[in-house]
Amino acid sequence: MTVRRARRGTPGAIPVPAALRGPLVALAACACVVFTVGALPWLSGRDPALTVLRARAAEREADPEALESIRDELDLPGDPLKGSLQWLSGAVRGDFGVSWVTGEAVAPSLAGATGVSATLAALAALVAVVTALLVLTPALVRAVRHGRGAGRGVDVTGALLASVPDFLLASVLLAIVAVRWDLAPTSGWSGPGHAILPAVALGLPAGGLLSRVLGGALAATVAESWVPAWRALGFGPVLMVSALVRRTLAVAVPQIALLFAGLVGTSIIVESVFAVPGLGHMALEAVLAQDLPRVQGAVTILVLLGLAVGGAGIVLHRVMLGPALEASGLTPTVAVTPPSRRLPLILGGTLALAVVLGLAGDPNAIDLDVRMVGPSLSHPFGTDALGRDLLARFGHGALISVGLGCAVSLAALVTGTVVGIRGTRARAGVAEVLNALPPVLLGVLVAAVIGPGLTGATAAVAMVAWIPIAVHARTLATEVRAAGYYQAAIASGASAVWLFRRHLLPAVLPVVARHALMRIPHNTLSLAGLSFLGLGAAHDSPEWGAMLAESVRYIERAPWTVAVPAIGLATLGVVASLVRTERS
Amino acid sequence: MNGARSRHLRALSAALACGMLTTACFGDGDGDGFERLDVAMAFQPVKQMSPFSDDAFLLSKLGVAEPLTRLNEDGEVEPLLATSWEQVDETAWELTLREDVTFHDGTELRAKDVAAAINYAADASPKPRALAGVDVEAEASDGHAVTISTGDEDPIMPQRLSTPELAILAPDAYADDPGTPDPAGAATGPFELAELSGSAARLEAYPDYWDGRPQAAGVDVSFVEDAASRVGGLRTGEIDIADAIPIAQADTLDDGQLLEIPIPRTVGMLLNNTSDVFDDPALRATAAAAVDSDPVVAGVYEGRADPIDGLFGPVSDWIEDRPTVEPESEPADVDGESITLATYDDRPELPEVASVVAEDLRAAGFDVDVVVRSFAAMESDLMEGAFDAVIGTRSYLIETNDPVGYLASDWSCEGSYNLALFCEDRIDDAIANAADQTDVDDRTQAAVEIEAEILATNSFVPLAGEHARIGVANDVTGVAEDPVERVIVTAETHVP
Repeated sequence: MTVRRARRGTPGAIPVPAALRGPLVALAACACVVFTVGALPWLSGRDPALTVLRARAAEREADPEALESIRDELDLPGDPLKGSLQWLSGAVRGDFGVSWVTGEAVAPSLAGATGVSATLAALAALVAVVTALLVLTPALVRAVRHGRGAGRGVDVTGALLASVPDFLLASVLLAIVAVRWDLAPTSGWSGPGHAILPAVALGLPAGGLLSRVLGGALAATVAESWVPAWRALGFGPVLMVSALVRRTLAVAVPQIALLFAGLVGTSIIVESVFAVPGLGHMALEAVLAQDLPRVQGAVTILVLLGLAVGGAGIVLHRVMLGPALEASGLTPTVAVTPPSRRLPLILGGTLALAVVLGLAGDPNAIDLDVRMVGPSLSHPFGTDALGRDLLARFGHGALISVGLGCAVSLAALVTGTVVGIRGTRARAGVAEVLNALPPVLLGVLVAAVIGPGLTGATAAVAMVAWIPIAVHARTLATEVRAAGYYQAAIASGASAVWLFRRHLLPAVLPVVARHALMRIPHNTLSLAGLSFLGLGAAHDSPEWGAMLAESVRYIERAPWTVAVPAIGLATLGVVASLVRTERS
Repeated sequence: MNGARSRHLRALSAALACGMLTTACFGDGDGDGFERLDVAMAFQPVKQMSPFSDDAFLLSKLGVAEPLTRLNEDGEVEPLLATSWEQVDETAWELTLREDVTFHDGTELRAKDVAAAINYAADASPKPRALAGVDVEAEASDGHAVTISTGDEDPIMPQRLSTPELAILAPDAYADDPGTPDPAGAATGPFELAELSGSAARLEAYPDYWDGRPQAAGVDVSFVEDAASRVGGLRTGEIDIADAIPIAQADTLDDGQLLEIPIPRTVGMLLNNTSDVFDDPALRATAAAAVDSDPVVAGVYEGRADPIDGLFGPVSDWIEDRPTVEPESEPADVDGESITLATYDDRPELPEVASVVAEDLRAAGFDVDVVVRSFAAMESDLMEGAFDAVIGTRSYLIETNDPVGYLASDWSCEGSYNLALFCEDRIDDAIANAADQTDVDDRTQAAVEIEAEILATNSFVPLAGEHARIGVANDVTGVAEDPVERVIVTAETHVP
């Protein structure tokens, strides 16, 4: 079946299907999210008149008189379909309606926020790409000099960067760079200087993640047969580096596109730390107030942007690989990382020891006499703002954070691999739509349906976690299908199952499995982000993200309260990055 | 109107230019002068700075718009745009207006403008909190005066008129959309709203302000939600005045940079009278006895709050005449009853308070589950009594400096903010009687008597009396210390 699908496209044709199907996919996707959003009040069971009143006047008593006057003023739709149809028919003509809360036309404020967010996301993507290339520099040198792939150093650095939560980084940058050193403005959006810190806060973790993807791609590239051949032919280092970077970037372009589209909507917390008037923040406020015209406008923009950027990534990938993608050009082999046993054992052992010790303590025992006491013999990790023992909270939190992070990654690996390998026609689709929607918005929607809590938050994170895996798998599978041995197997009459089991899966699975492993901390972080906004772990839960959210206010007075869960996440990230999944 | 249109055009063209990654993606630079003030507010405007929303408080705090009266530090009504008032008959008040007041557009303040502004407010959606449940009609009368008629006798109309939501704007402000008036160039305060963008506003001093020329050239307002950013801006000198400093960050400011003002707002635990556990007065007594508020004030609030004994806090001097509370029941033994304790995280201290209180209750034998969400996300659950206990904070003088209004909304059977789902006929009657009192002292006396009766039921466990905290740079003078949190920047505020 896989084969038939692969054959259906006309090989060698310029990639136009996206252009033909694009508008239809986009329209369907937009209508889909618009209707989902339109049903929000019915899904959540919350009266929009009340949420609008609350947005306008936080402490105004919701007496029947006030609610009635808002209902009259807004002419609220009576059923989930009617309002959305009305809005869609207007939107097609460029009229995005009028905000229920502010009474303003949605389009101009949306345009402003989109401009800000796109600028910020572009700068953050730039920071991410530069960071990733810097992290990869030693690996490139190795590749050119010795013909070997990215080493452990790249993995560790990338994993460390990727495991820093952007909201934590934002607070740290604010406290140190903006306040202590006074090198950048603390908040606002009135000059290029204002963009630096938010872009760095968003870009550094993204760069870490990207370096891991690029590192994998580089290792695979170095293993390709043309590299030793070129080296043997004595090609100069400049030529080698540019060829390697080009080839590596080609694999990563769809990932970079995903990253950019994701950044537009996910920067909600960073936007609010630096008071950046962006789209993510606007969308979140609108969702909470159930200001449907504004939410519908915002998600439409996010979806269109996601589809456009995702589609562009795919096209660019094709263009960069060029004719090589056609049969026989490339022979990717499975990358092999130098084995490393000791470091993950040491780190993992330390982590496990701390967790075991912590599990022996009581994470909820409050002692206001020892608020924010630094690490000492009786409290090796110090205490938090309520005098609770951080070691105990760390240990108990590890079970939740690491457990759920692993569970989400495993689910993402299975879904992502299957969808990615089957999805032979490379075009923007459901994945890009979901990717463009901030997990927080999904979190709010899920919470509206099943109530706020860890279950809903985990579901929301899982809904997007498989996408990068699927895109990665799709990219890899596309290349395998273009390889000579695969074509040879088809020619010799191999069955679809055989092709899948013997050729696609072995080439794709180990690489995406590493990707999934390395995303465990990322999933833990996404959960943390939702907990931060009150959509995840319950109050007082020692879940690491919830711990961070609680302590981030005390970052200057009691840095250890933030450092403990952050170091936990970083250790987890490094250990996950070093565990081997390939058969040697 | 033209101004509004060109603002939209500018926003649109800036957004378009953003596609090209130019500096136009950022707002305008703030052109720092020597005499301008940089002020960071905690909340974004929610309704284009319309006074018929919470933006009214922004307008008032920033010295843009003014109502007819104001409350002084002792909570008494003082003249503002009206110089005197008189109850001419049971259902009508006549207010004499100040002479020589001009709107920011230069036109004179006339009695018919004032009457129109009040009538627009009465028709707003929602109706301003201070006018909730009151029928109001204003009319220009002879001379420079306005008559306000009410459906029933209303002894506290002058107090009601002090609410920022009843700011008086020029007729032009209502021309486009009477439900969302535009205060730009149309108010009467020391500063004129010149420009409003997503996260910033520019105010210019109004030289013809009726109480003398403002001492600052203008105010650059930024709306910064994150408290650490506001405090950080203050510490680096980017910001002169920062509103709403949470306790967690108060310590990072220098001495003298923090203005602490005790306010009529109290934090307490409300026990749901309809809950399976707390419908039993004896268990309420147990819970009340189990909770120790001292560590809350000293620990969570770090001493930046006052201990309280009831619904009302020490900032109100009339609580001195409180009768003693005689509890209705003795505490009973707890047999592992499970309860859900809810609070909201809109005020960052409340979740920590909930953790501490929950431990106290657990020590007394309750099995406690704590639920924390944003207020907006849990409001309907709160009002329907989905939780056994709620920790909340409440401003008990609300809009009118009148505790009776608070008692009616929070402690009467039909009250619209009755989190304890408290309903006792005798209290309802007492509140109705108190509302009929025309003398302000009689009303406060009635209020403390009702308070004692409510406390006797142990439906409210007092925790702390709150302070407002404003961060002020060392060289700034003339910042208002307003216990009802309505004014920050005045004509006197400046950097010498």
